[in-house]
Amino acid sequence: MQETFLLPLIIALPLLGFVLLGLFGKRIGEPAAGWLASLLVLGSFLLGLVLLLQGGARWALPDWLPGIPFSLNLDNLSGVMLMVVAGVGFLIHVWAIGYMHGDPGYSRFFSYFNLFIAAMLVLILGDSLPVVFIGWEGVGLASYLLIGFWYQERLNADSARKAFIVNRIGDLGFLLAMGLLWSMFGTLSISELVEKVEAGGYSFTTLTLAGFFLLVGAIGKSAQVPLMVWLPDAMAGPTPVSALIHAATMVTAGVYLLVRHAFILHGDSFLSGLIVVIGLLTAFYGALCSLGQWDIKRIVAYTTLSQLGFMFVAVGVGAYWVAIFHIVTHAFFKALMFMTSGSVIHALGGEQDVRKMGGMRKYLPATHLHGLIATFASGGLVPLAGFWSKDAILAYSFEYGPWLWFLMLMASVLAALYSIRWYVLVFWGEYRGKEHPHESPAVMLWPNHILMGGAIGVGFMGLPYVIDYKNFIEPFLTKAIGEFPHEKLPVLTEWVLILTSAVVAIAALWWGFRFFQQKMPAWYERFQAAALQGFYADALYNTLLVSPAKGLAELLFEADKGLLAGFAGLGNLMGGLGSLLAKLETGALRFYLAGLLVALVLLVGWGVLR
Amino acid sequence: MIWLVASALLFSIGAYGALTRRTAILMFLSIELMLNAAALALISFSKLLGSLDAQVVVLFIIAIAAAEVAVGLGLIVAIFRRRETTGVDELRQLRG
Repeated sequence: MQETFLLPLIIALPLLGFVLLGLFGKRIGEPAAGWLASLLVLGSFLLGLVLLLQGGARWALPDWLPGIPFSLNLDNLSGVMLMVVAGVGFLIHVWAIGYMHGDPGYSRFFSYFNLFIAAMLVLILGDSLPVVFIGWEGVGLASYLLIGFWYQERLNADSARKAFIVNRIGDLGFLLAMGLLWSMFGTLSISELVEKVEAGGYSFTTLTLAGFFLLVGAIGKSAQVPLMVWLPDAMAGPTPVSALIHAATMVTAGVYLLVRHAFILHGDSFLSGLIVVIGLLTAFYGALCSLGQWDIKRIVAYTTLSQLGFMFVAVGVGAYWVAIFHIVTHAFFKALMFMTSGSVIHALGGEQDVRKMGGMRKYLPATHLHGLIATFASGGLVPLAGFWSKDAILAYSFEYGPWLWFLMLMASVLAALYSIRWYVLVFWGEYRGKEHPHESPAVMLWPNHILMGGAIGVGFMGLPYVIDYKNFIEPFLTKAIGEFPHEKLPVLTEWVLILTSAVVAIAALWWGFRFFQQKMPAWYERFQAAALQGFYADALYNTLLVSPAKGLAELLFEADKGLLAGFAGLGNLMGGLGSLLAKLETGALRFYLAGLLVALVLLVGWGVLR
Repeated sequence: MIWLVASALLFSIGAYGALTRRTAILMFLSIELMLNAAALALISFSKLLGSLDAQVVVLFIIAIAAAEVAVGLGLIVAIFRRRETTGVDELRQLRG
């Protein structure tokens, strides 16, 4: 651990890009603006990598607020997140250079993109909770700006507002948690909180409450049940935004926050149980909804929900390093899946309906390969990245309880099904549209090549202990998260679990591959209709929350209008009184003079008689 | 005391004149009479009470009245130039 001013520089680089592109973007022009933004993110990545290899870094600005320093902390946990955010972020930046080509808001897009990276890095590196909160709100703002990037269309602007408003609920939880922790411990620095929590001498109930509020914050940001409704609509933004913010990085911020506060959650059976239930619900909800979507980006958005549910379950069962491991592998294969979708959309001139796709394997061979790998990694095929992280979650679930393991296995069957459905609908069969598909330019293919490499290989740093006794990532992360000893499963059980999940994944992928090519049976059509509507969650929220709130707002508006009318009436009354008095101004000089004299006589008379 | 009576007479004549004359010039003249009646009253009070304060005030009144006459006559001349009349009964445009 070293004190170095290079640490804030990691954040300052993309922030500089935001300022430069925001002020001079039009003059920098295309494609220089995109390359500038990408290279600044690459700079952050390399700087972060160097500092991480040197064993981490700290930096603090003492007394930023009274009693609260502006402290940043690069340890192994934030380091891994930084690698993902800046690394995958860089690739998506480069890809976006091709995807956003010719957009009138080209430089504005990259300016927002850099703002997002800067805010996300503040969130990750912040050691003091208010600093984390700045990043937390910053990514929310960037997300809002980018969802509504094509703001001329009302739908996009509405989706952006929806995301922002739903996230407010989570942010309130975060704020309450901060307030509680401050009143309990008198500090908001995470590294100091760890020590104070270990030292004891506080009310466990209050700490649970603080953890609960943190969980509310995480639920909002990571779009878990019941605050999941904003994520599918967030797909209104450009595809790179969906890939970077709403799949690979920002939505995992909630999971990261929970892992950061593992010392609060650990050993609290209420909170862990709650997290497991929420994660399970989200995993199933996302997976089932994904199976009924027709919009290619909404399909992938719901798969993201499902995978985020997996991460929550990992946090709930105490497998904190596994949650981060899954964030890493998920960032690779989900970004790849999104960008493959984006390449297809790009090839078809903006078409997003999968019913008008199909047969793309013939037209887009390289993109087809990317899609295939993304499908296999997401579906959990041995030995791709997604398999190993999902398998680690399943193993820990088995320790928590075999019933949970079984439910998670079912969820991963669904994961395999939605992945293969996406693949079959886009790449298999005959082309059902009228466009002339063309393969993407090199600037869009190369980032996908690299991501594909990650989706294949990145899982090998977290192999189960029966294969690789001391894998790389577990000790690396637990150094930062904290040691939470647990009984490792017996070798035989572990092998059985691995083989079961491998065989189940292959079977599900194969069955899905056959099933989704044929004509859909009636029961599936019925299920699909419900899933397309997200099982009416939006309609339910509209009836229960939005409509009453709207009614109240309209009532208040009417009352406001009444109040204003009252004031206007008062004004009119005064005006009438004034015009009555104005009648006295006859314009006849003699009349005024007579008035003066009468007044004089009255005054003198009053003076004499008094 | 006689001066006070004279002042009251002068004031009443001025008031009557101001109310009855039609031309602005004569109205103005009557107002000047009222003003000087007030000055005369002040002087007589000053004599009655044996204080010089009021006499000083009257000196001021005379000085200011000189300026006021200049302005007032200037206004009347300006009105006459525009309207070719100084009859106050015809100058009734400023009404509410």
